[in-house]
Amino acid sequence: MIGFWRTHSSTLITLFLLLPALAGFFGLFFYPMLLTVILSFRPEGQAVGWTLENYTRFLADPDGRWVILLTFILSLGSTALSVLLSVPLALILREKVRGHRFYRLMVLVPLVVPGLIGALGLLLFWGTRGWFNLFLLQFVPFVQRPVAVNYTMHGLIMFYVWLYFPYTCITTLSSLESLDRSIEEAGEVSGATRWQVLRHIVLPLITPGILAGSVLTFMAAFGAFSVPLIAGGNYRPLAVEVYKQISVPIPARWSAAGAIAIVMGALQVIFLSLYMRFVRRGGSPQ
Amino acid sequence: MTDVMIEFRDVCKRYGTLVANDHLSLAIRKGELMTLLGPSGCGKTTALRCLTGYIRPDEGRIFIDGQDITGVPTHQRELGMVFQNFALFPHMTVQDNVGFPLMIRNLSKAERAQRVAQALRLVRLEDYESHYPRQLSGGQQQRVGLARALVYRPKVLLLDEPLSNLDAKLREEMRFEIKEVVTRLGITAVYVTHDQAEALALSDRVAIMNRGRLEQVGTPEEIYEHPQSRFVAEFIGLSNFLEGYVQAVDGDTMVVSVGGLQMRIPALAEAGPGQRVLLFLRPNEVELLRPDDPGGANVFDARVEKVTYLGDTLDYRLTFGQGLTLRVQSDAQRRFGQGAPVRLRFPRVRSWAMTSG
Repeated sequence: MIGFWRTHSSTLITLFLLLPALAGFFGLFFYPMLLTVILSFRPEGQAVGWTLENYTRFLADPDGRWVILLTFILSLGSTALSVLLSVPLALILREKVRGHRFYRLMVLVPLVVPGLIGALGLLLFWGTRGWFNLFLLQFVPFVQRPVAVNYTMHGLIMFYVWLYFPYTCITTLSSLESLDRSIEEAGEVSGATRWQVLRHIVLPLITPGILAGSVLTFMAAFGAFSVPLIAGGNYRPLAVEVYKQISVPIPARWSAAGAIAIVMGALQVIFLSLYMRFVRRGGSPQ
Repeated sequence: MTDVMIEFRDVCKRYGTLVANDHLSLAIRKGELMTLLGPSGCGKTTALRCLTGYIRPDEGRIFIDGQDITGVPTHQRELGMVFQNFALFPHMTVQDNVGFPLMIRNLSKAERAQRVAQALRLVRLEDYESHYPRQLSGGQQQRVGLARALVYRPKVLLLDEPLSNLDAKLREEMRFEIKEVVTRLGITAVYVTHDQAEALALSDRVAIMNRGRLEQVGTPEEIYEHPQSRFVAEFIGLSNFLEGYVQAVDGDTMVVSVGGLQMRIPALAEAGPGQRVLLFLRPNEVELLRPDDPGGANVFDARVEKVTYLGDTLDYRLTFGQGLTLRVQSDAQRRFGQGAPVRLRFPRVRSWAMTSG
């Protein structure tokens, strides 16, 4: 017994120290995950038996497939717009213009403000009686009626961009700042215009940074819940759909909700692994 | 004036209160390798950046080949430039790096390939076309940089401390390589460095800068043999300075009193008796004699304070006269130990008149 302790003491101490973390991991992550997986294969409302019905019903239903498609449209659309917004913004911010520290801080604001608060603010601002439409009606000629933004698809994408573009912007900025400026000078001396330097030298070199940031934006947008819940109107992506299954029908449809949640998780894992493969193969020049 | 390729005319550049270029006027001839030499912060890099267009001078004009390019954007100036940190495009192969200026100029693929091969042959890197910069050594990367700068046959080649990121041995090799390539192409080159040995070895002419101003412009020999100011003499090579005053002027020579001793040296045109003068001696321009060697004009007794063995030479610190110290280097054939008495002979002493104060 004492001999065993002598030879394995460090391993035992390590295990002992890991115990709280393992317990937390098991209780807070693994057990609920396992329960959701089991639940998704149970017939609705029953504690025994196995079935694929929860999956087949959701995936065969045109509404179900529309929810998946909508989730992709929202998250890919907002990711693309985030990239288009982040690259020029990062190019400006790296020039150390007057007040650039303040602007950098402003970029982070959407990450600091809780999504729910942000969404409410956006709803108020863009509503038919919000400042945006008041301005349009007051000062822009030929605008007779307020422009609909809230509860529309383009409005939702815009809200997503506001909430999730900082991930892309920050990583783009940091990869821009790690670039050696004399490389750009070499390009210009070689006869390239600023635009050609951007296209042939800067953009290829910061592409890995843009990709790394945009995948964060994509994942955040894919899993978005509170914003589409209160600002999405009839546009309900996967996370809202899961919530709907346990909040609207009586009794709550836990098994259906579990199946949709598992589909959502699986899609995220598939997308992420495809992305990693793409980046490893050709996205990175280094 | 037609043989002038680059001209700085009264160029000024200030950063707040710091004056980087103070009324810089300099003409560089066609096919000449001109070095801008000076300590860091002397304005040599600012002058080069004015030439590339990365910095706009506050005043003055810059001409290349007779054309005023002060307001011309960088990419239209038709320059080639080699950078201190190589500044290669890390995502492109050697071939694409060197071919970049040609691609920008819309040359056909076939002509591009041919010219790139030619440029790489010039810097002896034919077999590295498909390598990426990170796969090359520092010296190879800088040769790629040189090939990229030369591939479209620019009017002017600019080199911004191109060797300072290389180790000492490679630096010396690359020095000759650059010199050879530039001479072979007959291109006008502006070379910026703070390394005086590099400047002397490479240049057709050297422009020495200090605090934004030109101190002296001349061939390496002129600069070394006839420095026009104490700054130049101190910056180029090793120097001894002795202060004294003129006792008498006798035709071509004058007698200068230095630390209680009398030296006869060539007269300065503007010097009369009482004029304070600064004497200047290179450490290898002093002869060391045995104490029993015959005396004569400009021969003085001295004592060895310190000897340092440098391989091919010995470096002595000597004291003589009243509190004068002198650094002398002589070949290792005749040795004097520490504390030994010696005799000094000054075959050649240069001097400047000092303004009072």
